[in-house]
Amino acid sequence: MEPVTSKRVALTVNGALHEREVEARRLLVHFIRDDLGLTGTHIGCDTGNCGACTVLVDGAAVKSCMLLAVQADGATVETVESLSAEGELHPLQQAFSDHHALQCGYCTPGMLMSAKHLLDHNAAPTENEIRRAIQGNICRCTGYVNIVEAIAAAARGR
Amino acid sequence: MSTTTATTTAPEQVEAPQKGFAGQNVPRKEDKRLVQGQGVFVDDVRRHEVGYVHFVRSPYAHAAITNIDVSAALALEGVYGALIGEEVAALTDPFFQLSVPPGSEIKDYALAVGKVRHLGDPVAAVAARTRELARDAAELVEVEYEPLPVVVDPERALDEDAAVLHEDAGSNLVWSGAFDWGDFGAALEEADHVVRIERLHFDRFSSTPLETSGALVEYDRGTGQWTLHANNQFPGFAIIMMGPALRTGMDKLRFVSQDIGGGFGNKICTHPQLVALCLLARKLDRPVHWTEWRTDQHTGNSHGNERVFLDVEVPVRSDGTMLGFRCKAVDDCGAYSRYEPLGCIIWAQVTPGLYRWRNVHIDFSQVCTNKSPCGPNRGYSRMQHLWFTERVIDIVAHELELDPVEIRKRNYIKAEEMPYETPNGCVYDSGDYARCLDMALDLIGYGSIDEKRRDAESRGKLLGVGIGSTLDSGTNNFGQSQLLNPDLQFSGNNEVASVKLDIFGEIVVTLGTTPQGQGHETVASQLVSDILGVTPDDVHVRAGHDSYWNSHAGFSGTYASQFAVTGLGAVKGATELLADQIRRLAAVILGADGPDGIELAEGFARRRDNPEAALPFMACGAIVNANNAGLPDELDDVTLNCRYVYKPPFQVPDKERKFGNLTLTYAMQIHACVVEVDPETGVYEIVDYAAVDDCGNRIHPQIVEGQVHGATAHGLGAAMFETFAYDEDGTLLTSNFYDYHVPHALDMPPLKTDAIESPSPFTSLGTKGMGEGGGAGIHSVCAAIQDALRTAGNAIVTDSHNPYHRVWELLRDPETSRALVKVEQR
Amino acid sequence: MLLSEVGYARPAGVAEAVRLLAENDGARPLAGGQTIVNVMKARAAAPDVLVDLADLAELRTIASTGDGGLSLGAMATYTQVITSSEVKAARPVLIDVAAQIADVQVRNRGTVGGNVCSNDPTNHLPPVLVAARATMTIVGPDGERTVPADEFFLGVYMTAVGPGELLTSITVPPLGGAGDGFSAITIGADGTCIVNAAATVEGDGARVALGCVAATPVLLTAAAEEDAVREAVRGAGLEPPSDVHGSADYRRHLAEIVAARAVAAGRGGD
Repeated sequence: MEPVTSKRVALTVNGALHEREVEARRLLVHFIRDDLGLTGTHIGCDTGNCGACTVLVDGAAVKSCMLLAVQADGATVETVESLSAEGELHPLQQAFSDHHALQCGYCTPGMLMSAKHLLDHNAAPTENEIRRAIQGNICRCTGYVNIVEAIAAAARGR
Repeated sequence: MSTTTATTTAPEQVEAPQKGFAGQNVPRKEDKRLVQGQGVFVDDVRRHEVGYVHFVRSPYAHAAITNIDVSAALALEGVYGALIGEEVAALTDPFFQLSVPPGSEIKDYALAVGKVRHLGDPVAAVAARTRELARDAAELVEVEYEPLPVVVDPERALDEDAAVLHEDAGSNLVWSGAFDWGDFGAALEEADHVVRIERLHFDRFSSTPLETSGALVEYDRGTGQWTLHANNQFPGFAIIMMGPALRTGMDKLRFVSQDIGGGFGNKICTHPQLVALCLLARKLDRPVHWTEWRTDQHTGNSHGNERVFLDVEVPVRSDGTMLGFRCKAVDDCGAYSRYEPLGCIIWAQVTPGLYRWRNVHIDFSQVCTNKSPCGPNRGYSRMQHLWFTERVIDIVAHELELDPVEIRKRNYIKAEEMPYETPNGCVYDSGDYARCLDMALDLIGYGSIDEKRRDAESRGKLLGVGIGSTLDSGTNNFGQSQLLNPDLQFSGNNEVASVKLDIFGEIVVTLGTTPQGQGHETVASQLVSDILGVTPDDVHVRAGHDSYWNSHAGFSGTYASQFAVTGLGAVKGATELLADQIRRLAAVILGADGPDGIELAEGFARRRDNPEAALPFMACGAIVNANNAGLPDELDDVTLNCRYVYKPPFQVPDKERKFGNLTLTYAMQIHACVVEVDPETGVYEIVDYAAVDDCGNRIHPQIVEGQVHGATAHGLGAAMFETFAYDEDGTLLTSNFYDYHVPHALDMPPLKTDAIESPSPFTSLGTKGMGEGGGAGIHSVCAAIQDALRTAGNAIVTDSHNPYHRVWELLRDPETSRALVKVEQR
Repeated sequence: MLLSEVGYARPAGVAEAVRLLAENDGARPLAGGQTIVNVMKARAAAPDVLVDLADLAELRTIASTGDGGLSLGAMATYTQVITSSEVKAARPVLIDVAAQIADVQVRNRGTVGGNVCSNDPTNHLPPVLVAARATMTIVGPDGERTVPADEFFLGVYMTAVGPGELLTSITVPPLGGAGDGFSAITIGADGTCIVNAAATVEGDGARVALGCVAATPVLLTAAAEEDAVREAVRGAGLEPPSDVHGSADYRRHLAEIVAARAVAAGRGGD
């Protein structure tokens, strides 16, 4: 095995297998947005602090701007587009809307994926656990007040 | 149109409104696409054969450009072309300058020409097949610089030996002027005390919207038409700057946006980058796509103004009545002034803050420094000034040992005095400040604050309470620009909306605004529904902005807290015109007794005297659009497509006296903050927080409250964490989100809110604009820290930005801050 | 934001990884990527080759060492540490500290090996491991060697892991009757550390390692009580950096306080 500057990768994204030739230097977030055309995942910074790019890789919330696409070869990736099948909103998406947990909507996809990761692992989170779960997701519009409320409501099934 | 998913938690979906949709928290239309990641932000827009653009930026704060060589970049496979300052200077005229001399002499181009004036100043642009190649190519551009001395301190910018940024201006002064109202001299005479504060400093930060700026620009050679898919939030201003620069008509600059990821004023001054992109698109004959990276935004695009207030004098009566103030203010607009000269005047919308002092003198100047250019960041210019008034009253109370609540109530403009004319002729429309202060204090349990103080003490902490009052003046009278420069041809304000019944009766609304999360589609639909007798689901509001909709005017955009007045005023006007036309049409078709014999309800135009005789809107639309033979001549002007330009009632202010109403509405927020300070480390925590707002009639209370939350978070971030700090070489030390810490979820205190509604008598809906907020978070945190430190050295807080290390300095050395304040007995 | 061209390889085993690192000039290991990808985005460094350690399953194990101590595979993520019953039993301070690092997303990818090998002076684990007398196991072309933690950190971003070598595991001795503590002052909740300190209190004595105040953790020993600890810190002649988050003076002052707090926490632990 020798190092290569580009390689063919196969990722399962939102249940569909995608195979592409990709440069080793290409970030996963650019692969998702530019190569696969899934523009729901966003970019808000260049130091891995804002979390707008959060997706689930093999079930774990990660920042897709801090992963190379080649590192995700063989992995299962879920983006915000996977949350609503056939136009039915996921309870988290509905809760975000009900509780006005989004204004400009730019942080929302990443926020939803972090929230999904939380609720997948913790069905009854406390407020502090909710805040810890979205600590890696910056929002500049809402002050997080309604986001925390929405996640709590979704957890309660309301 | 669509039905909601059936959940038991859906908010009130009222079918037949008793009181109307306005005033209710209807579900937001924007949410469905945004929660599914189906929003279209500028980086989501795709074209084939696009050239991705990267700007080559100066690593120096101030330097002459002695050579630029793009040949190595152009030789890289996949690079389509480049643009340098020399070309820009040949192909464009410098941007229009708002100020008078010397500021008017500044030559500002899309790329640096001849020299760079701040770290991050763009020197060249390269376009390539991929984003990565553009970045690689940028590295191959060879620029030779000769560094020049750097100016970073606004108080030194006018020194004899200070390096001058703009040789054409010959000075770093952009503008200066004196503001004088009432009789300050008499106030001094009358005073029992004069409180003198040597220096108050409002720090440099910005709201850093999560989505950075960007654009995809296309040029059509056949028509000379540029289409800019851009997240610029004030296209009206952009085209006024860009058209003349590009030597083209303004209609040749079509602005299109759908979703914008936050603006907060930081997406107003992107016209330089957009001009560079226009030139590249034309030169390369392909669409060009620019994404601003976070570091680019921090180093090169739009900081909030830094302002220093010097030699402040406050005459006060013994009972705490403040008679006026005098000071010098120095505003630092960074390397290029652009929009900023307006900030020299805009603070005067709220000259007295919330207080009744009548005698004011300010010597105001704005200077350039080798820092990122500023832009009208959330709260623009009023926030800085309101912080100043709040620091003043807080320091006066502190030094004269007066109760901070009582002194505010004594000095607040009273509800019964509204509408209230300020010393410079602005008319505050309505409000009850004292009542809101009580509400805020109640929310933080002010009654038991002594007990909380003792409890904190037992845990080794110093507890402090601070009040922050602020105003959010909205709907500018651009005539104030003539106080800056009497030759400017701007005044008044406007916004446009079009409302039509489409070919088969669908209600379609087109706005002139560029919302970035304020929910304009939703709020507009509430208003339209009430006028036309339908539900918001029946109203289709086009998402975003497009110049080709011809639904915009010179001031169109989303900025400066005005949608609830200007945008909705336009929607109301257009919808009422449409309603009128529908009634006229229906009256003829249904044989009613004139248009007054028709009511619009439940989606029909029907006879009041016989509701069975009804025309659905579908029929109205079809008749006018596809089936108009035989209609009487009197209906010739019934097009069912109504465009309305809202115009607020303004006069051009008196330029001599600098007197006149500068804004139509004055929303208010009063915050109360409780902090606990660790006296050993200076680390502090906000343990309780309340924000009370009054923006007149609220069309969608949940949206209003969301804005209050967000403005509070911005204020707290600026107070505790956020600063654009420069070293003496002009290097920005906080150029990304790693070092520039913004509040995350765990950083936010428990936040309680409440509201009252004091309708504005000056607006068609009694609403007031309110999005910016006014920075009360900063004002209240400053006051709370100062209160906490009373028993630990009694320092004075004189800076808006108080990170832990500054609080520690105040604890360690209170005397330096105390030396800035003197009380003179008269 | 956009990386320079880079070579990439994903070996299946440690030996292969070491070969790739040794044979390619300018090759760097890629662990969780939470530091190196950022560095490459800023183009502050541009390795020629990244050797992805993701498939080295043997580096991901966390195991008890039989004597009450702990062996942490270099590729164990912070999330693995936080949820590990072995760590909880042996050195629970590692859970407290890992749980303070940044956020969930970073913790799901970031590794203990990455944290110690990047050796940013503000990192959390170097002081903890120095105080705890951990040892690092390094594998290179010439075989395997161990380096004690207080000889492992050599300078800013520099450790005893040389070119062509790989950190494979960190061995943390048993607590015995000792107690660990950690204290930090950060930029915002769970943010970058302004100062931090880790302490291991053994009987009446404390080993205190200060972070953020020098290129590498500063190890001090003192009697395990506040005044002695503070005096030891004052006597250490610290010359911490000055930056926008704090002056040298401020860091020096905070260092005393976090050291004392870490020791107090360590005492509370027995």
